[in-house]
Amino acid sequence: MLNKLALSGIKHRLRDYSVLFSGLIIASAIFYMFMSLATNSAFLKSNSPAQATSFIYGFGVVLLAIITIVYISYANGFLLSMRQKEYGMFMMLGAKSSKISKMIFVETFTIGAIATVLGSVIGIIATGFVSRLVIDALDMQVKHFNSFYLPALLSTFAFFIVIFIISALKNSISIRRTKVLTLLHKDSQPARIKKNPILKAFQVILGIIFLAIGYATMILMGSNAALIYLGVPVALFTIVIGTYFMINAVITAVISALKKNKKFSQKGLNNFTLSQLSFRISDYTKILSMVAMMFALALGAITVGLGFQNQISTVVEGQNYYDVTVNNINDAQQKRIDKLDTKKVTTYSYKASKGTIYYQASEFKKTPFKYQKFNMKSMISKTTSTTDPSNADVSFELLNANLPRYRTSRVAVVDDAKFNSIDSKKSSLTLVRTKSFNKNLAAIKKINQAEQKRYPELKDAGLSKYDSYVMVNGIFSGLEFMGLFLGIAFLAMLASCLMFKILSGASSDVKRYNMLYKIGTRAKVLRSTINKEIAVLFAVPAGLGIVHVLIGLQMFSKILYKPYMNIEIPFGIFIVLYLGYYFITRYLYKKIVLK
Amino acid sequence: MQKIVEVKNIEKIYGKAGEKQYKALSDVNFEVEPGEFVGIMGASGSGKTTLLNILSTLDTPTSGQVHIGGQDITKLNTNEMADFRANKIGFIFQDFNLLENLTAYENIALPLALQNTNAKKIDPAVNSIAEKLGLTDILNHYPTELSGGQKQRVAAARALVHDPSIIFGDEPTGALDSKSARALLDTMSKINHEDNVSILLVTHDPFSASYCDRIIFIKDGEIGQELKKADHSRGEFYQEILDSLGTFAE
Repeated sequence: MLNKLALSGIKHRLRDYSVLFSGLIIASAIFYMFMSLATNSAFLKSNSPAQATSFIYGFGVVLLAIITIVYISYANGFLLSMRQKEYGMFMMLGAKSSKISKMIFVETFTIGAIATVLGSVIGIIATGFVSRLVIDALDMQVKHFNSFYLPALLSTFAFFIVIFIISALKNSISIRRTKVLTLLHKDSQPARIKKNPILKAFQVILGIIFLAIGYATMILMGSNAALIYLGVPVALFTIVIGTYFMINAVITAVISALKKNKKFSQKGLNNFTLSQLSFRISDYTKILSMVAMMFALALGAITVGLGFQNQISTVVEGQNYYDVTVNNINDAQQKRIDKLDTKKVTTYSYKASKGTIYYQASEFKKTPFKYQKFNMKSMISKTTSTTDPSNADVSFELLNANLPRYRTSRVAVVDDAKFNSIDSKKSSLTLVRTKSFNKNLAAIKKINQAEQKRYPELKDAGLSKYDSYVMVNGIFSGLEFMGLFLGIAFLAMLASCLMFKILSGASSDVKRYNMLYKIGTRAKVLRSTINKEIAVLFAVPAGLGIVHVLIGLQMFSKILYKPYMNIEIPFGIFIVLYLGYYFITRYLYKKIVLK
Repeated sequence: MQKIVEVKNIEKIYGKAGEKQYKALSDVNFEVEPGEFVGIMGASGSGKTTLLNILSTLDTPTSGQVHIGGQDITKLNTNEMADFRANKIGFIFQDFNLLENLTAYENIALPLALQNTNAKKIDPAVNSIAEKLGLTDILNHYPTELSGGQKQRVAAARALVHDPSIIFGDEPTGALDSKSARALLDTMSKINHEDNVSILLVTHDPFSASYCDRIIFIKDGEIGQELKKADHSRGEFYQEILDSLGTFAE
């Protein structure tokens, strides 16, 4: 009978349950997705040149496990908050607490188990989909990657089963310990915030000091890579503490200042919103700090990941000026070149004779040869233009553009009369610079392949821009893929965590909003106060997280050529996804609160 | 003189046509004069809460008209209803309905803030009503730090601060001990007499009802007899109410 009642209770609150359930499914799906990378050592080894990768992944797994545990404990709290009153009623009607706690155990565990299985299936599908999407979008070279990976599946099951057994036990114990009356009249009454200005001021100062130490450490690590092993834990520790104090002290200080400003606070529901926030923030400090940190890590991972994408074109661009080189052009290749969005097509004639390649000086005078001059000190290449390729630097570049068989030759630049007198077959070298290498990539690939067919020697010793692109892309894609994956997984978790924390407080807000409605608050005003409140809760960790990332990127100033280049792309992607969570949260919150 | 409340042929039917229907109110008619303290009495399920919900625009009647302060409130749209509640009505609920994350002061100021009253005018308004109700010392306290009686007085102050046309009380003494209940009723009586504020009290408690000038009895959704205090003392009126309850219940 009780089981039947419990089941009907779930049916009754199907919408709330579907929120919880989908949250748990997302959690296990993400965990699987991440594990499918982290447990796949073949993938890790083949896609990253760095030893640090497994370290990064180990670190990632620990973080993801922690956040998953926190997430499930919030989701679990949400579950319990929904059912508490009902359990109280069963107990009042005479159900034994042992029977109730058994019921809760079964309920929590069943929900968890079903969610884990469904989540893993979705995880497998999503892994396949996301990886295909990412790999295709960025033309990545990812090896040994399968969306279905048994060890990942097993570890996901094991992890979630353990967590759900623990939370099921926790729920049933906490119900057993609570008095029936407390369960029946479960109205969470927020405690008054303790206002101790001296302590708060002290926390603000401490917060600033800790953040300063953390930021300084990250900047130092950027200039001296040897500091990383000491620097990472120091930065992590100080920034976590600094973030906590900032949220705890600074935000509450801002709210009280706003409350004191009567002109602002006594307008409409502003005072109510501020009070909601100040109670919330003191209750939320821990989760908001965690979300801020996770936000920074996730955004950082995506930014650095995409930074490697920028790196690819920077490195490739730094090696070759010309996007396409064609020897002794024929009609087929000419047609292909015509299809390119070219900026300039240059053709040089040459004759090879007895270990020397002769070029015509007049041609270079007419169209100077361009190459990327590498500056060892700044590590930056600069496009340089010359009319005299006999200079050692330039002749090296010129020979590299030519067929491999000539690479050890000497370069001689001669006048037209001398050139014509040389008794050797006249050959030509066509050099094409397109308006954008990346945009013409597909067509360039075709030309490169055709060229390799015409001159098989190019296959082994190719030094074309496309060849170096393939090589560099292969090195960086794995890192980029991991960064994106890690970032998106963290984002999904942290935002869901915040969402559940907010939603689990919603049931106690129903009465407040109902009362505001009764005394004549327009529905629009109620909706806007909810929007504002949730917006602040989302914006506070996001703001801090963004600052962390902007400074944290300094750590990569030696690894990445320009860590801040195209930063708006990862930030944009991330913020759009995060905003998505904000809109879902406020929608669900309103569904619960404004019945 | 214009009536504060005019209820004409109100009918409220729950349930859709063709399905099982339940008539909560049937042909209800009554009026409240300005400055009158009227009680509506009835047992649980008699329809008094439905009636109060309709009077306070939280619900709409199936048919009939309700005029409050000369305005037909059954013709308002949702926003107009909200504005109407905010401007014209003061509420005192059984369970106080204070916002526990706002101080007493902020709770009392809420209706004014909702009407976007100038911040400079809010302070004197709150202080004057707080003084009248003896709340000056507890204005900075949060509801959790107040007794039931104090909470209900804060709620009363909130109901009065914006000078509403009428105060609706829904069993306001229901959650109070007898001493606090008496104090609250004395206060309401005082406001009624001194400031000429109209009050409509819904209750099933004869003692609370004895503070009213007139009692309207409601049973099974229909208005029954009416009792007037006239020149009787409160004690006599109380006895009269008890007697009527005895006969009305049969």
